[in-house]
Amino acid sequence: MRSSAILRVFVFMLVVLAAYLWVGQAITAMTGGERKAASVVEVTPEGGEAIFWGKGRCFTCHSLGGEGSAVRCPNLGQFGEKFPLAIGARAEQRAKERSDETGTHYSSTDYLVESLARPDAYLVEGYKNEMAIVYAPPISLNLTEIKAVIAYLQSQGGDLDLEGIENPGELAQTYYARIAAASAAGGGDPGNGEEMFVDTCSDCHTIQGEGGEVGPDLSSIGNKGLKFISESILRPARKITKGYETWVVVTESDERKHVGLKTEETSTEVEITKATGEVATIARDDIREIEQDEGASVMPDDLTEMLTVKDFQDVLAYLMMQKGEDGAEAETGK
Amino acid sequence: MDREKSEAAIQVTNMQTEYRSSRSNYWLVLGVLLTLFSPEVLALEANEYRQFLGIDSRRLVWFLAQMHLFFGAFVLGVPLFAVIVEIVGWRNRDPKLDKLAYEFTSLLSVAYATTAALGGLLAFALFTLYPTFMGYMAGLFKDIMFLYALLFFAETFFLYLYYYGWNWLQGGLEFSRNLQWLFKGLGVAIILAGAVFLFGGFGLEMRGDTRSFIALLYILPLGVGLLILRDLKSSHIFIGILLNIAGTAIMQLANSWAGFMMSPAGVDEEGELIGTLWQVFENILATPVAIHRMLGNLAFGGLVAGAYAAVKFIGARTPAERAHYDWMGYIANFVAICGLIPLPFAGYYLGREVYSTSAVMGNNMMGGDFSWTFIIQAMLVGSLFLISNYYLWSGMTRIPGSERYYKYIKFILGALIISFAIWLTPHNLPLTSQEVGDMGGSQYHPTLKFMGLMPAKNAVVNLIILSTFFSFLLYRRGNKSDVVPISQQGRLPKVVISLAGLVAVAIVGQYAMGMLNLDPAELDLPADRAHYFRTVGYLLIFECVMAVLAVILALKDRGKLAQGLYMTVTALSVVLFLGVYGFVVMEKASPFLRNIAVSQFLQLISCIILVTAIDLYLFRGAKELGKLQWGKMTVRSQYALLLLTFVITMNMGLMGFIRSGLRGDWHIFGVMRDTSPWSYTPSNYTMTEMVSLAVLVFMVGVAFMFWLGGIAAQNKAPPSVPGTEPGQLTDEAGSQPASRTGD
Repeated sequence: MRSSAILRVFVFMLVVLAAYLWVGQAITAMTGGERKAASVVEVTPEGGEAIFWGKGRCFTCHSLGGEGSAVRCPNLGQFGEKFPLAIGARAEQRAKERSDETGTHYSSTDYLVESLARPDAYLVEGYKNEMAIVYAPPISLNLTEIKAVIAYLQSQGGDLDLEGIENPGELAQTYYARIAAASAAGGGDPGNGEEMFVDTCSDCHTIQGEGGEVGPDLSSIGNKGLKFISESILRPARKITKGYETWVVVTESDERKHVGLKTEETSTEVEITKATGEVATIARDDIREIEQDEGASVMPDDLTEMLTVKDFQDVLAYLMMQKGEDGAEAETGK
Repeated sequence: MDREKSEAAIQVTNMQTEYRSSRSNYWLVLGVLLTLFSPEVLALEANEYRQFLGIDSRRLVWFLAQMHLFFGAFVLGVPLFAVIVEIVGWRNRDPKLDKLAYEFTSLLSVAYATTAALGGLLAFALFTLYPTFMGYMAGLFKDIMFLYALLFFAETFFLYLYYYGWNWLQGGLEFSRNLQWLFKGLGVAIILAGAVFLFGGFGLEMRGDTRSFIALLYILPLGVGLLILRDLKSSHIFIGILLNIAGTAIMQLANSWAGFMMSPAGVDEEGELIGTLWQVFENILATPVAIHRMLGNLAFGGLVAGAYAAVKFIGARTPAERAHYDWMGYIANFVAICGLIPLPFAGYYLGREVYSTSAVMGNNMMGGDFSWTFIIQAMLVGSLFLISNYYLWSGMTRIPGSERYYKYIKFILGALIISFAIWLTPHNLPLTSQEVGDMGGSQYHPTLKFMGLMPAKNAVVNLIILSTFFSFLLYRRGNKSDVVPISQQGRLPKVVISLAGLVAVAIVGQYAMGMLNLDPAELDLPADRAHYFRTVGYLLIFECVMAVLAVILALKDRGKLAQGLYMTVTALSVVLFLGVYGFVVMEKASPFLRNIAVSQFLQLISCIILVTAIDLYLFRGAKELGKLQWGKMTVRSQYALLLLTFVITMNMGLMGFIRSGLRGDWHIFGVMRDTSPWSYTPSNYTMTEMVSLAVLVFMVGVAFMFWLGGIAAQNKAPPSVPGTEPGQLTDEAGSQPASRTGD
């Protein structure tokens, strides 16, 4: 083996690596260096711009006129025939459209807040609903940052209304409450959480009069805080609401064991409602044994295997929003 | 994770804790044990970061992880094809292939120890510099880490038994009949169980990709290994199979850690385990990354071995040496191409799963912080295909008769260059006002703007793969005079070609049905957009009809026509029709664009499967126009082989940067934030600096090890391979016996 061959190969490698470095250097010179994104604490168009092109990652899906290269979602600037108006002016038009569609008055701020808080509410034709929940991980914008983005979008061809952003009407306030609840719950998506709740929990639990009655009414559960709700889902037996304890009744005649809530009790009978909703009425004379099982809950303890992390966060976010009438009013600042 | 604390520490970052596919040594085992006995620290607690000698901890971990991964990929990739070469040599009673397999394996011995040492170093760096993060990970994965350590011992045992037992297990001493039947029975039982498992007979709770990975890479090879056990040599092969199973399992386990960091499962938002360990292990990205890495390792291992052969060729003193190392380089490159061709598809699947994990992560990958990194990646991958083709064309100069096909090369080259140029065209570039003015006041070039969009890129990436495949077909038939009628080759070709046709129709057909029945509402599109799906559905049905026609033609001894017809139809459909139609879809039904990409990929992969099956038999035993002249290669071609190795190594480093960086400012995506001072996404220049340093050190290290291995080889006798002439090759390796000529 000739040493000159090794040397030639080594020099060749250095040339290749130098070319690689040059490409990296040239691209960095064009596109900028390391990417740090700072939090924004002021609701201004400048703050929103920093979020739009930084932490919020809006630019990965939306272009703004000639800025940016994303085509996945609508261009938010004035761009070609499809988008003759920039988003600020477009929002005013869309607000009218939404008002007509829903019968509720929309301001341009309402429309923009809705677009960020519930992107599926209105879809631009030809585009799919694939917008990330911006107040959920990994983006996790807080309410101030979201307001700043709205200010930035309004400034694109529209009338900037900072007062309207800070103190909007009822509709936007509801969405602000939704974002605040979701942020508190680790950033879940309450919309998906509601669907998950209906599919998984509503057979037993009621919210605002909808659902089953085996478990406690959860219409005001949000007032109990995140920790309580989280514990109740993950370890239902640890904190059982009074009146929802688990009872075990063994009958004399057929030695059957009935496990469930004691929903009715008279001098002659005991009514046990099982997790499935089935109701067993047992004569007191037929009871061999009746006792409360303090270590068990009627609520399934394998929910964690049925829910993904995201589903769990989504349900939490939805439940955090359930603050009854008083709670909801307090949340929206009324 | 305490969210308020997280909010206070909002920094975009990534931490290059690359430690998948890793192997370790006793140091790692010790490190794991130390951690396991320490109290469990959950993500709730504030993160602690430390430094060693004031060095940036992230860069230190990045470098060590990259070095460990390079060596790990090599020691995982080489045994894969060493065993395949050994099996081919054993089946054909060809001692030359056996010697080649041994030569490949001998490269491993020193590299293995280095990989292990680097694994230990990496583990210590992680445990000492990122104690909170690693405490959490070790607490969660403790059972898997123990299994990992045990598998490491198994791999060490099998590797050294495989290497040092080569001569000892060369003999043809047969086992008793009863023992042979016992092994066969066991083998058949395991294969059947594997097939049932693969098709969902049990283990349905697993993800489909994990089930396929386990069935195809663990259970079936184990069954086949037992099935062929009949003498000492087959025992040696069986040990090689066990070595690969252990190595693959180690990689899969470590991949689950890195996958978990990107797509955590089985834990709540505070990092507490709320599911099962299996859910944690089988997180969304664990298997897609493992599949991608498996193919990447195969290509990488092949090319590093190819670089070894190229350096030896360049420094060769005799024609015999040149012939031998030319042949070795060819085999290594052949293996690498086998890994390279499906790699973009595995990458596509991985990318899709990244999107399904988090659209934010996916968008950041393709359109955010890493969009320019992907431009560099496109340059590197495009170069890989271009250089691979060049090497194949150079190789045709040693094949008498291949001059007939030279005329096609300029067209293939043209297609590759145009495709490469389109692939590299960015959609948008920062321009000066002068440049904007020169382009008529637009940010986009009037024509080139279309080249920067996905439909164009999807079309050309398929054309690049198809062109490379075509080059390979030309190489294969270089010195064959004419085809051998398939009807005269017995039943096997008919069965194989028909099965390949069936697979092609099944792959394309099932997707066609999906397109014909797709409800536009599923993609949030209005009902009147359904005709876009139907058009693609009918196109795929047409492709199925062409596949059936190709099978019929091949069985009627019109194999060349069958191949030409099917490839032409596929090229027209995938590149021309869907390439252009993609723009229409992008305008009118944008969400459907991804389905177009999938349909292109499915047609291409079906085409490769069926055309390869036909080609296998079309020239089997055909009359040759001359003997292949090993060693008659230009030195330039060897530099091409070296360049391929450098490029794939740089690309691996780059892809590691992207994969790890996608987590943004999270150690564990959505669960544990990175609040360290190094919490930001480094620039592309920093990436090229770090990767270049790692490549340089790796290459110098590998060269040193090969030199050491060479000294060791001089001091001991190689395996006995009577009658061996370097540079001879059999048909199974894609060529023919040849004389040694040199250039």
